[in-house]
Amino acid sequence: MPYHEFECSKCIPERKQHAVIKGPGEDLTHALPLGHLNTIPGSISERGCAYCGAKHVIGTPMKDVIHLSHGPTGCTYDTWQTKRYISDNDNFQLKYTFASDVKEKHIVFGAEKVLKQNIIEAFKAFPDIKRMTIYQTCATALIGDDVDAIAEEVMEEMPEVDIFVCNSPGFAGPSQSGGHHKINIAWIKKKVGTVEPKITSDYVINYVGEYNIQGDQEVMLDYFKRMGVQVLSTFTGNGSYDELRGMHRAHLNVLECARSAEYICNELKVKYGIPRLDIEGFGFEPLSSSLRKIGLFFGIEERAQAIIDEETARWKPELDWYKERLKGKKVCLWPGGSKLWHWAHVIHEEMGVEVVSVYTKFGHQGDMEKGIARCEEGALAVDDPNELEGLEAMMTLKPDVIFTGKRPGEVAKKIRVPYLNAHAYHNGPYKGYEGWVRFARDIYNAIYSPIHQLAHLDISKDEIPAGAGFQTAKMLSDLNLSEEVVSSSTLRQYTGKYDSVSSLRTKTYPEFKKKERSE
Amino acid sequence: MSCELKQKERVGTINPIFTCQPAGAQYVSIGVKDCIGIVHGGQGCVMFVRLLISQHLKESFEIASSSLHEDAAVFGALSRVEAAVDVLLMRYPHVKVIPIITTCSTEVIGDDVDGVVIKLNEGLLQEKYAGREVHLIPIHTPSFVGSMVSGYDVAVRDFVRYFARKDKTSVKINLITGWVNPGDVTALKHLLTEMQIEANVLFEIESFDSPLMPDGNSVSYGNTTIDDLTQTGNALGTIALNRYEGGKAAAFLEKEFDIPAIIGPTPIGIRNTDTFLQNLKKMTGKSIPESLVRERGIAIDALTDLTHLFFADKKVAIYGNPDLVIGLSEFCLDLEMKPVLLLLGDDNISYPDDPRIQALKEKVDYEMEIITNADFWELENRIKNEGLELDLILGHSKGRFIAIDNDIPMVRVGFPTYDRAGLYRHPIVGYAGAIWLAEEITNTLFTDMEHKHNKEWILNVW
Repeated sequence: MPYHEFECSKCIPERKQHAVIKGPGEDLTHALPLGHLNTIPGSISERGCAYCGAKHVIGTPMKDVIHLSHGPTGCTYDTWQTKRYISDNDNFQLKYTFASDVKEKHIVFGAEKVLKQNIIEAFKAFPDIKRMTIYQTCATALIGDDVDAIAEEVMEEMPEVDIFVCNSPGFAGPSQSGGHHKINIAWIKKKVGTVEPKITSDYVINYVGEYNIQGDQEVMLDYFKRMGVQVLSTFTGNGSYDELRGMHRAHLNVLECARSAEYICNELKVKYGIPRLDIEGFGFEPLSSSLRKIGLFFGIEERAQAIIDEETARWKPELDWYKERLKGKKVCLWPGGSKLWHWAHVIHEEMGVEVVSVYTKFGHQGDMEKGIARCEEGALAVDDPNELEGLEAMMTLKPDVIFTGKRPGEVAKKIRVPYLNAHAYHNGPYKGYEGWVRFARDIYNAIYSPIHQLAHLDISKDEIPAGAGFQTAKMLSDLNLSEEVVSSSTLRQYTGKYDSVSSLRTKTYPEFKKKERSE
Repeated sequence: MSCELKQKERVGTINPIFTCQPAGAQYVSIGVKDCIGIVHGGQGCVMFVRLLISQHLKESFEIASSSLHEDAAVFGALSRVEAAVDVLLMRYPHVKVIPIITTCSTEVIGDDVDGVVIKLNEGLLQEKYAGREVHLIPIHTPSFVGSMVSGYDVAVRDFVRYFARKDKTSVKINLITGWVNPGDVTALKHLLTEMQIEANVLFEIESFDSPLMPDGNSVSYGNTTIDDLTQTGNALGTIALNRYEGGKAAAFLEKEFDIPAIIGPTPIGIRNTDTFLQNLKKMTGKSIPESLVRERGIAIDALTDLTHLFFADKKVAIYGNPDLVIGLSEFCLDLEMKPVLLLLGDDNISYPDDPRIQALKEKVDYEMEIITNADFWELENRIKNEGLELDLILGHSKGRFIAIDNDIPMVRVGFPTYDRAGLYRHPIVGYAGAIWLAEEITNTLFTDMEHKHNKEWILNVW
């Protein structure tokens, strides 16, 4: 597996070990790209900071919490309303963000006093919210404010409130990944075990590493509830602060994003002996197998199988409609951390696309190992990509679509490559059976948009096809399909609604009687 | 019954109206040709600002980070600035201008950015890049001072201070636009063209409304050149349209090179555009042509259809950049509306001295509040808990939920406006801007009337 040297990065030789091309039959262990190392200054990396990893990725999806950043307003403003982690309490965590507004005088004389005032003001403004997370930032970490002490002081004075402190300034690590680790460890150390949850089922899990992007968590919760499994807490999407304090009473930790949240699972195992089960909510087969594993763990396989059968029958014909039309399309799978391996294999298997490149902004070598193992031969794998490398890769690989972030998506647009938002999704959720069809539909709509055909025309030089007033995606996608596929009576396009999540919030579930136990 | 100017009483911020200084400096940096800034701080200080600006413009552009990590925060991070400059220069052969923009972290640890620039000029640039034109410009924008607005102001001044030279006379003027959109720059240049005035425009960001071309170009750049910046020292005069976003540069040029400066007014609305044209006339001796009389007439005609029928007595809250907010409030008053609450998101101590604010205080004959160091809670709390009734909100996208949750019509204006399509393309300045703003407000009110069934039948005949 040769390292891949980008033309644009020949002058920074240390980059060479951050990219590889997966050769035929090659052993991963010989040339895994380096990962999770300090960023090369000036390379125009796409990485964020450890503060955003803690606050923006993991902290803020908690829904019933005042999220207060201790520092100047910029960190707070910049990480506010730039993600789609929704909740079933009218999105309090999306709508409100709090900054202690540290100014120059506080930098000189200390900002602990102003922090305390802030905490009191925030609780006063939102009297129904009794929980708070305080995030340290670069400035307040460097001046050495003792945020924990202030939080303790307030909790003594206001016994009805509870405050969690996360010390993860922006510089604490090579990327946002440093922040994931810090908040995981801080939560289990400081908060788990401080509330005793009510156990209502024989089968109790924590759902970990799930951030409810566009409703992912709610879709998965629907399956768990249909299985009669009690979800004690979700870390952290649509998650509740006090529920997460009771994580220690679960029988099983079901882990989705291992990059951002395996730390807390591992600690829960060490400290409370709770086993960890890695699952995947993306893709029919991985999801079915995940539900089966949970069923198997609790001895309720038939409940899992019933859901798998029902959902597969409902949605598989729609997925396959898209698969027929996406076969062989080239995809750059360029997410943040773990989606490269969550998606690499399954989008190939279930949607027929070829993954020509994977990259990770803040993944570790383990993520790369899994990602490369699951992507196609010849694929280019890049750690901590930068602007020029991304462009060079797109120019040489000529993908039909890329999955990445919003701003890199604008880069792709200009070279006429359509993009889907890998972090926040276009029209998600993408988890669950229906969600997976929604993803396939988004890919299809991106690739076959008639606008791309127009974008390649040069009216000053090219022969302009006259007489056609319009094209549809279907006219383009079905051009070379067999008659059998085109007129199939079983395959069909997506039939769900624009909003597939809100209706789950009022759904009722069967009651499974709890077994009598002599505890 | 009067207008009151006061500071927010709470110390904290619930939903900030502004981000911090480095963001303003970054917005300036993308307006300069052959320029890539290095933000000296944590990676988030760049990554999120790029995301923010790209959401607003629906474009990408380049800004680099010195990627401050833990060791650098402890031992000092100047070596990372040196590395960043080298890596940028190696990989971007067109780059000539590199502003080095500081942040809270690197100001707190006390990195001597000015010192490292001298070191680089005498070392790396001489040794490795001899013969290449490279300008390193330290820009100090600690996040705990001012806001993105002052960061913009400081950066414009620092660019001008670095480049401006006086070596000849010129007929050109300097036009410092302030924090505007590509569409505004187009509108302003149109006014200059009509008056046959040449200008060094700071900053030429029209090109951020860039095309998707058949050959696939890649990145949008600003177009203010080194020469434009250098020539600011020879100009006939400077007009800085925004007092708080470019005023410092105008004052610098006046003090250093005796270039007469006119600061403001922000040409939002008919009256302020009139004043802008008068100022141009005064500065250059050029006359205002018939074409602009006609253009103004079209605007007046459009506004006359709207004012007393739809706008009169409508209560408005406005938030955002100070020059924008003040300009909009003046325009609203001219349209018979009643701005009742103005929110300025930072604590600039010179607000009480602003003659426009003083005029509001003296002349407004109903209850109006101007809150400085404001956050969005100042608006939301008044609506939810203190009975403030509004007919309209004017401001940027970050306040969208206040409008949505309280069902108040809102026109997006300012920065950022990512939750509406294409607003960067439409001017709010000049006569064209006056028309666009008034009609956008009108149509928003109409949609709201229909959505609420609130006298929607009135439009059966209009």
